[in-house]
Amino acid sequence: MMSETIQATTATSRRRATPSALLRARAALSAEWIKLRSLRSMLVTLVLAAVFCIGYADLLCWRFTLRWHTFDAASKAAFNPLDTNFNDLVIGVLFFGVLGALVVTNEYGNGLIRTTLAATPQRGLFLAAKAALLVPLALVSSAVIIFAAFLTGQGILAGHVPHVTLADPGVLGRVLGAIFYLTAASLIGLFIGVIARSAAAAMTCVFGAFLVLETLLDSLHGGVWQHTVPYLPSNLGNALWLSHSGSLASPTVAALVLAAYVIVLGVVATFSLRSRDA
Amino acid sequence: MSAQAGTAPYAGASLETRFRATARSEWIKFRSVRSGPAVLLATAVILPVTAWLLCGYYGHNWATMSPASKASFDPVFISLRGIEGAQLFVGAFGVITVTGEYTSGLIRGTFIATPQRAQVIAMKATIFAAVVWAWCTILSFAAFFIGQSLLSSPAKHVAIGDPGVLTAVFGGGLYLTLVGLLGLFIGVLLRRTPAALAALFGILLVSPVAIGLLGGKLSAQLAEFLPDSGGEEIFKLLHSGAYTLGPWQGFAILAAYVAVAAAPAFLLVRRRDA
Repeated sequence: MMSETIQATTATSRRRATPSALLRARAALSAEWIKLRSLRSMLVTLVLAAVFCIGYADLLCWRFTLRWHTFDAASKAAFNPLDTNFNDLVIGVLFFGVLGALVVTNEYGNGLIRTTLAATPQRGLFLAAKAALLVPLALVSSAVIIFAAFLTGQGILAGHVPHVTLADPGVLGRVLGAIFYLTAASLIGLFIGVIARSAAAAMTCVFGAFLVLETLLDSLHGGVWQHTVPYLPSNLGNALWLSHSGSLASPTVAALVLAAYVIVLGVVATFSLRSRDA
Repeated sequence: MSAQAGTAPYAGASLETRFRATARSEWIKFRSVRSGPAVLLATAVILPVTAWLLCGYYGHNWATMSPASKASFDPVFISLRGIEGAQLFVGAFGVITVTGEYTSGLIRGTFIATPQRAQVIAMKATIFAAVVWAWCTILSFAAFFIGQSLLSSPAKHVAIGDPGVLTAVFGGGLYLTLVGLLGLFIGVLLRRTPAALAALFGILLVSPVAIGLLGGKLSAQLAEFLPDSGGEEIFKLLHSGAYTLGPWQGFAILAAYVAVAAAPAFLLVRRRDA
């Protein structure tokens, strides 16, 4: 009913003056940019993500250099410098998922969403503008975080234990895979936020999807599990940055399935946004 | 209520009257938390379904398991493992029971009506704990029986009368109640939904993973003192780990975390604005 009313008002305004699609998109983008910039929890989440992802990766690498002399030959052979460096991403991804969710649920929480949707009745455009700003933000910050974690982590390992550089085969792919995973997680968080419409529900879903689901189901192998467990969002992410794949999907498949998750959730979120009240 | 300051005759309202009034208003608010029924429903799905999935899996694949994993297989823990998923929802329920009131601003009305703020929080916690405990204990028993019905010889299984089993199954409900209370008191401390949820999930779900990444002996030693891995001992039959804590020792660790959150919550709620 509300969207009908809004459509009716748009029809009237269209008779008065028809803003071009470009102008409307630019207006939506600048409105979203102001809101994103002024979101306090955005900055807090990103700073915490940087401190945790870089600091904990360095701590884990440092701990390995200390424990190296206690390892037997088999553990030394099994040691993988890149995995040790990125292992904390199983937690780091949560910051990005929550960041995406907060970008939109904050607006539902304080009621601003009603003003936003009155100003931009093209709800699809509103969501597209949000996503268009979130992607570069998440991409740049995850790239900075991942490269910093990689360079400092390998720097700590160097000289004591085996380490890798970006030039080694496969390394750059894993680094880029980690950046892609974190960025995709922020979009998944955004779409979950639109579907859930509340910070509490969205954050619970993000932690459930990226952390708890894997803990509960990871011990199951064979049969139907062999074809489902590797496609849990967190396992897809692991496939992108872990170097020993085990039962995980191949990196290419993982990237494609992760992209498919984002697209499907995006479509569901758009329909849910257009058909439900704010 | 608001007459308390104005009219002298009411000022002497007995403690019992006051408690009853607070209990009634807290009960109405608890009942009308919109996501409450959804959370209780979610736990009612997660616990039995996880028991069905996991016990069905192990019952079916028992022959292919290694002797070591057969020896460490805990039929009670596996049938109650859904608690690890359900705690997400119960904990979030505890948080929003409090922070929802701060978000909507109702908390100001509540504290004007009942200036004894500690009493409000205590009543909130009591009502929350009673409902969650009753509900989760029922679900814990349901999950146990579903799980054991799917584990038949040669797979390891137990009866409710076997030593330690009843404690573990009751423990499932107790564990979830304490997790909810931890969320509730963190909610009082932080007053904002996202911050409180992040803190609760951080302590409960992220810390075991983070400690696990450390590796080595340190990791095993620290793990037992986390609310999640410590508290879980109450619904396990086999106890392992660096210090082999028993069910009640592990549970005491979780209870200590709740107490550490509750003490400043009761103190600060009286001093800070709403």
